[in-house]
Amino acid sequence: MSGQESAVQEKKPWRLSLDTWAVVVALLAALLVRAGVFKHIPW
Amino acid sequence: MADVVVVPQVQPVQPALRFLRIIPGVLLLGAIGYAGKLLEQNVGTYAKAHHWVFPNIEYVLWAILLGLLISNTIGVPELFRSGVATYEFWLKTGIVLLGSRFLLGDILKLGGVSLLLVAIEIVGAIAFMTLLGRLFKLKPKLTTLLAVGSAVCGVSAIIATKGAIDADDEDSSFSIAAILALGALALFTFPLIGHFFHLGDRAYGIWAGLAVDNTAEATAAGALYSDAAGKLAVLVKSTRNAMIGFVVLAYAFYWASQGQAKTVGNKAAFLWQKFPKFVLGFLLISVLATYQFFSKDQVGSLANLSRWAFLLTFAGVGLRTNFRDMRKQGLRPFAVGAIGEIVIAVFTLGLVVGAEKLFGF
Repeated sequence: MSGQESAVQEKKPWRLSLDTWAVVVALLAALLVRAGVFKHIPW
Repeated sequence: MADVVVVPQVQPVQPALRFLRIIPGVLLLGAIGYAGKLLEQNVGTYAKAHHWVFPNIEYVLWAILLGLLISNTIGVPELFRSGVATYEFWLKTGIVLLGSRFLLGDILKLGGVSLLLVAIEIVGAIAFMTLLGRLFKLKPKLTTLLAVGSAVCGVSAIIATKGAIDADDEDSSFSIAAILALGALALFTFPLIGHFFHLGDRAYGIWAGLAVDNTAEATAAGALYSDAAGKLAVLVKSTRNAMIGFVVLAYAFYWASQGQAKTVGNKAAFLWQKFPKFVLGFLLISVLATYQFFSKDQVGSLANLSRWAFLLTFAGVGLRTNFRDMRKQGLRPFAVGAIGEIVIAVFTLGLVVGAEKLFGF
């Protein structure tokens, strides 16, 4: 494999998994509730 | 002239465009879920006002039924598909937020019991499904996928195992179709069986978490029974999910020893890669709730936020279930899955009833 090809292959974008995104979003929402940005979330 | 290597450039989809693409589907999930919530509130009141005898149907079931109706009649238009596929993201976000309703002590107490039950269930289910696959002369890798799907964690486990054992696409789509069809059936049968046997919320929740394969269906089957049963179903199902890495690793070793899969290099990295990270998020939020990082009102808000996330999930469960597509996948894998699921359901029901007497949960 040539150097140029491997250089291109190495440029694969780094991505978070679906699970990790779910954790990040849930923690962010929890922090916003804790900080009082969302005072009350009704059901 | 220097050599020029032409490498085909794959144009990545811009994140902003990806985000825009999911909006219609997420709105559809929200609309169906909210319609389910309105139906729950209004149908019961209307029936009562007109002196009709009508069962109280929870928003969970309404949302799933509306989704099923759309998916199996007009179908889900292309515009909405990317957004509808996010239902699994909402499920996992909802589970992490649900952690706020569990104190660490409860998790340790119930987690210990459920870990024991999960271990017994996984070993029993894998042994039985393997035997059944041999009896029905299914391909060995298809049998492995069905065994992992029914013993551990439905679709996620099948996808994780497929990569680790180099299984065919056809085998994995067969297994996924069988597990999804059986999950859809479990949604409707489990609450009926639970009521028939007068199971308490805890026993039923643990049973649903142990026996229903896919996390979304296990969550819905629990929530259909009661709120408390739904919480426990999620806890037990998450314990099962946490086992994915170990089971997949064991199968990867087995198939590599047969010369039919790549060998696993770094075992710790493999386990971490397969470990469902939302289980860690769930534990983190419950640790924060235990040490009163959130006030009582804030815990209530987080629980409601979790319900909204589940609302989108349940709509997605209905929308992605298409009976016509499932029929196309053939009868034999489905038959093996169905027999396996019935035996696992009876076996785990016995386990739960026995454990209830022994541990008194």
